[in-house]
Amino acid sequence: MDAFARAATRDELLAECAELDAFRRASRNLYERVRALFFLYAIHRFHLPAKPGVAARGFIPFDGYTYLLRRRFEEAIDVFLRAQASQGPNESVSSALAEAYHRLGFQTLADQVRRSVRSVRGNQWMFRLGHPADQPLRVRPELLARPSNDAPYPLLMEATPVRMDLSHSAWSDIFFLGMDFPEGARVLNVSIDLGVRGRDAAPRPPVEAYFRVIDEPVLRLASVDLAARAEITSLAEVFDFARDYLGLLKAALIAAGLIPPGMEGSEQELTGLLAQLVGPGRGIELVSNVNGIPKGSRLAVSTSLLASLIACCMRATGQAHALTGALAEPERRLVAARAILGEWLAGSGGGWQDSGGVWPGVKLITGQLAGPDDPEYGVSRGRLLPGHRIFGPDEVGPATRQALQDSLVLVHGGMAQNVGPILEMVTEKYLLRSEAEWQGRQEACDVLDEVVAALRAGDVQRIGAVTTRNFFGPIQTIIPWASNLYTERLIGRVRAEFGPQFWGFWMLGGMSGGGMGFIFDPQVKRQAQARMQELMSAGKREVEAALPFAMEPVVYDFAINERGTWARLVEPALLPAGYYALVVPELVRLDRRQLPPARRAELALFAEASRTRPELSGMVQALFDRLLPSGVAQGQAGDRGAAALDALLAEHGFDRVQHEQIRADLKAGRIGLAQNRLPANSDIRDVQPGDVFDASAGATSLAAYRERGLAALRAGAVAVVTLAGGVGSRWTQGAGVVKALHPFCKLGGKHRSFIEVHLAKSRRIARLPGVGTPLPHVITTSYLTHAAIESYLAAENRYGYAGPLHLSPGRNIGLRMIPMARDLRFAWEEMPQQLLDEQAQKVRDSLHAALIAWAQQAGEGGDYTDNLPDQCLHPVGHWYEVPNMLKNGVLARLLAANSHLQYLMVHNVDALGADVDPGVLGWVIEQGATFTAEVITRCLEDRGGGLARVDGRLRLLEGLALPHEEDEFDLSYYNSNTSWLHIDRLLAVFGLTRADLDDAEKVAQAVRAIAARMPTYVTLKDVKKRWGHGQEDIFPVAQFEKLWGDMTALPDLECRFIAVPRRRGQNLKDQAQLDGWLRDGSAAYVESLCEWDAA
Amino acid sequence: MKISKAVITAASPRQRALPLQTLVDRDGVQKSVLRIIVEEALRAGVEEIAIVVCPDDEAAYAGAAGDLAARLTFVPQPAPRGYGHAVYCARDFTGQEPFLHLVGDHLWVSRNGQGCAEQLVEAAEREACAISAVQASRETLLPYFGAVGGRRVPGRQDLYVIENVLEKPTPTEAEQHLLVPGLRAGHYLCFFGLHVLTASVMELLGRAIRAGQEHVTLSQALAELAAQERHLALERPWNRYDVGVQYGLLTAQLALALAGRDRERVLALLLELLAQREAAA
Repeated sequence: MDAFARAATRDELLAECAELDAFRRASRNLYERVRALFFLYAIHRFHLPAKPGVAARGFIPFDGYTYLLRRRFEEAIDVFLRAQASQGPNESVSSALAEAYHRLGFQTLADQVRRSVRSVRGNQWMFRLGHPADQPLRVRPELLARPSNDAPYPLLMEATPVRMDLSHSAWSDIFFLGMDFPEGARVLNVSIDLGVRGRDAAPRPPVEAYFRVIDEPVLRLASVDLAARAEITSLAEVFDFARDYLGLLKAALIAAGLIPPGMEGSEQELTGLLAQLVGPGRGIELVSNVNGIPKGSRLAVSTSLLASLIACCMRATGQAHALTGALAEPERRLVAARAILGEWLAGSGGGWQDSGGVWPGVKLITGQLAGPDDPEYGVSRGRLLPGHRIFGPDEVGPATRQALQDSLVLVHGGMAQNVGPILEMVTEKYLLRSEAEWQGRQEACDVLDEVVAALRAGDVQRIGAVTTRNFFGPIQTIIPWASNLYTERLIGRVRAEFGPQFWGFWMLGGMSGGGMGFIFDPQVKRQAQARMQELMSAGKREVEAALPFAMEPVVYDFAINERGTWARLVEPALLPAGYYALVVPELVRLDRRQLPPARRAELALFAEASRTRPELSGMVQALFDRLLPSGVAQGQAGDRGAAALDALLAEHGFDRVQHEQIRADLKAGRIGLAQNRLPANSDIRDVQPGDVFDASAGATSLAAYRERGLAALRAGAVAVVTLAGGVGSRWTQGAGVVKALHPFCKLGGKHRSFIEVHLAKSRRIARLPGVGTPLPHVITTSYLTHAAIESYLAAENRYGYAGPLHLSPGRNIGLRMIPMARDLRFAWEEMPQQLLDEQAQKVRDSLHAALIAWAQQAGEGGDYTDNLPDQCLHPVGHWYEVPNMLKNGVLARLLAANSHLQYLMVHNVDALGADVDPGVLGWVIEQGATFTAEVITRCLEDRGGGLARVDGRLRLLEGLALPHEEDEFDLSYYNSNTSWLHIDRLLAVFGLTRADLDDAEKVAQAVRAIAARMPTYVTLKDVKKRWGHGQEDIFPVAQFEKLWGDMTALPDLECRFIAVPRRRGQNLKDQAQLDGWLRDGSAAYVESLCEWDAA
Repeated sequence: MKISKAVITAASPRQRALPLQTLVDRDGVQKSVLRIIVEEALRAGVEEIAIVVCPDDEAAYAGAAGDLAARLTFVPQPAPRGYGHAVYCARDFTGQEPFLHLVGDHLWVSRNGQGCAEQLVEAAEREACAISAVQASRETLLPYFGAVGGRRVPGRQDLYVIENVLEKPTPTEAEQHLLVPGLRAGHYLCFFGLHVLTASVMELLGRAIRAGQEHVTLSQALAELAAQERHLALERPWNRYDVGVQYGLLTAQLALALAGRDRERVLALLLELLAQREAAA
């Protein structure tokens, strides 16, 4: 497809698109339809916009966009196709079509998985039941038998290993892949027990589920590892997944058929259903426990836990023949199918190998062709559920198994990232059959055969060589983002240190940096385990400001589990110690008489065990600490946190008076998301002819100005200002790392950070023939980014940048606030929202309700202080970054060093294509304006305002200020946020001259005066709070900001606007954009602007 | 194939009093449940009847059978080892002959006046093989019955070849192993408490008991039977009444009355009851 599209003309491509669109509408075959949709996406996204005759400028119809948000993709496509017919082919409409086709493709696939999951035999009945009296399941009599009415009921425990994928066969276990290409969907999957080295005595099954009957007609759920518990009394609550941390337990109850999914919305009583299951007056307690294995381990811990819970519930209700011991093969398959159902219900989902821990030992899991008895037959080539073949000792002998355990060092590198986008990319590339990626997939298939052969031969060293080749070969060919700087440095260091005794690297799961394997000569394994811990910790310290780490790296001990999931009745019937730490403090506050007799008996049993069992020896102290949470230890930590926050606020010049004013305004409703908008009667129109100089064709349109620009560069009349005060919330998803330092992509053969790219562009400009003058480069920073950027630049020797390089530290800071419920509702209910797929949307709605409740409970408009101090503060918008250069003396220093300096090119850290292009510079000088803004034609993802005539004045308008959502779609140009400033004229607007820059008080007053004329926007940002073992919560917090583009609204500021090529002006806001950016030629363009440091 | 013997099981320790309850039969005569069942068997042309009972229950049951007691053979089940074992206790009585089997806590009512057992025996004699009465039941009822999977006999609406039998299956098992083409979704063929069985069943039960199985189910033996010889299921628009469940006896009584001589009278009684209740409200 790519080869054809590259060679085709515009008209050939358009004809092809029309034919593909007709084909996909007519075809009855699922994968023909889906593949046609992805081809259409790829043509509109990557090929058509580059063809001569396709305009850059166009208008995306707003009604098409709303259809897109509501997931009415077919209607959206029709609207966009009509727009293409009436406007002629253009980049804007193509971007919308690409998005609509892409989303419809994934929706079609997701619908098929949903149908398959529901129609797997053994799952269908659950969707038919709508009344408690219909419930055909009964809890087994063994679990209802107890010695006396005062005793607790028997306790069933399921212990399940996790899985590791010994081959990493290029994500071939993604459902969509296995259902289309079952022959290529193969993984070598090993069930393992885990322990954290130095903490646990021996490896054991990492996940456990407990089930028992209780004497109250409720569902009692507890997650020991997440320290969460709830007593559920209504059916609606069971289906409310995001309300608390118990979503997985709820999904298990539903997927196991105890609370059949058909009951959702039935308005029936939970007690009635429980009476049917366990008898009147009785209920069920379900408890999960993960033995301290951190999230993001890439070992499918959460799917294994879900499978464990489901298996336990199925045994308890007679859906497995054996109450204890192992499961039979058909039962394991059913557990796997139900786990997929559970993941779908809870709005998540991995691959089909993730419940591999249910099976014992080492097994080959393979995609299966759909047969006449399968619900997929005639729809897709493959089945949803794969086949499992367990390797017996004759195929993989005990010696090999031991050798594997003796060689492999399993670690968690500490990084935690969302692999969802990666799985989407894999699917997309598979369906497009892009040449390189398809070749990579074939190689990955061979890799699996080689690993299997090496395993059969007992040759662990060869396994290491093969998995390493896999990581640096096919895996990265298919998904470059599977690797990162941290991982590659680590591999390099291990290799350097252990030489030939390091046998290989092996990536686990979706991407590297979290769970990983390093294979060593068994002779050095112990030493390697110790060393890996040190190397990872040191490696993390080097890059933790740039890459998201959720936890301190750990080294595991592991053992192959040869039993698979396994159940037993626990005697005495005591739950894990952590459970009691969770429930006892609450129980002891109750009057003894309020406790049911069985609960009293259990507590007595626990008290007895605490006295006699060594593993419970610390319980009394632990309970005491929990009972008195305001005790000494916690109080100190809390005080320390508050003190650190206060110190930070003081250090960065926090303006308490202004903060209180903002809070008062926020609480009174004078400012807020709705108040960000201009009055509804504002006249907002698109640009008129002559408003914008069209340089979107690039160099050719600016050739006439190039010499003038080169002369200015030679004279040292210009400096670059990179705005790096923000953290890039969308990029880092609130992880609190510095986006500017993120080594986001391999360019010139190495991972490069944003700052390195910007400096490499400045280096090249300074070395252009006819320039020969160093280009001063300023990086603005804030409290969040300054220290990290400063130390990185020092550690990297300023990336070898020879010209003047200044950091301009921020002088403003804000304290985040708990948002107003009003603003949360506005954002989630009134602003157009992207509707998610059915089940995911339910989960999100439930989460939003929980977050609104959190805001109300925590105190709307209150200071947000319940997090690390850095996460409580916020930069106050990029408006301040240029005025800060006036305040902090950086501009004065620049001017002192070179009095010829007259122009600043200011750009966002994410505008990777922006450089001091001599042509643009020449045009800017020619215009003689104070402020020149670069704009680009709008594509679908360019949301957030643009260039508009507002009540007659041509200016940049923020998306936040648009009175109506649809206004944006009438604006041709989007603000790239790259601006050119004439220093003296800008100073004049502030009422200053160069000489005044030494007068701090005067400068401060001038800045304050202009700031007062700038609108203050209230925004909601996501902030991560980390806790436990790599767990993360995301909270919306309110903050305020002032934005640089609003300068163009000042009547005394003379502005010009220039439309530049998209590759120059686009901003990389989201990591999900990276793959497209790499594939559409933008990355190659940026590389062509760079000259890397030779050192 | 001629069916001349019948086996009624009434040995469940929890339900030993049920067959002794009295009801008014379709003919307006007051009878014990046991007697109604015995009459059902006799209408089917059976000549000898064995009743499997708990030890020492013989006298009470003989009393309940009234003048029919003389035609009954009582077989005590020495220990409660399950339903299959109860049937097996009658092995000497049945010998190598096929026999009609009825459970002692159900009553059956057909719509055409001909006895259910009678129709079943007719079908068995015509098809010359074991045959069990079944009813398409909602999956909700699976916890109470044995259920069969199979396929329709070509050209017959009411007859199925049994391929699989499971005792009280979970809905999951039923969906995986007992789907019968042509049945409504969520419906399975559940046993009706009436069977015509061949002597092989006794052999299969005996094998399981000798293997030391503690509780032997009839379903297990019937599953094996289906694997080794032709075993059919007959589905007719009959009704069955389990007198062992809550209000079971009352429902059975109403069903008998509404299908019999006193239909008008009972309907009038019911209407009067309803009217009085409404008036009181």
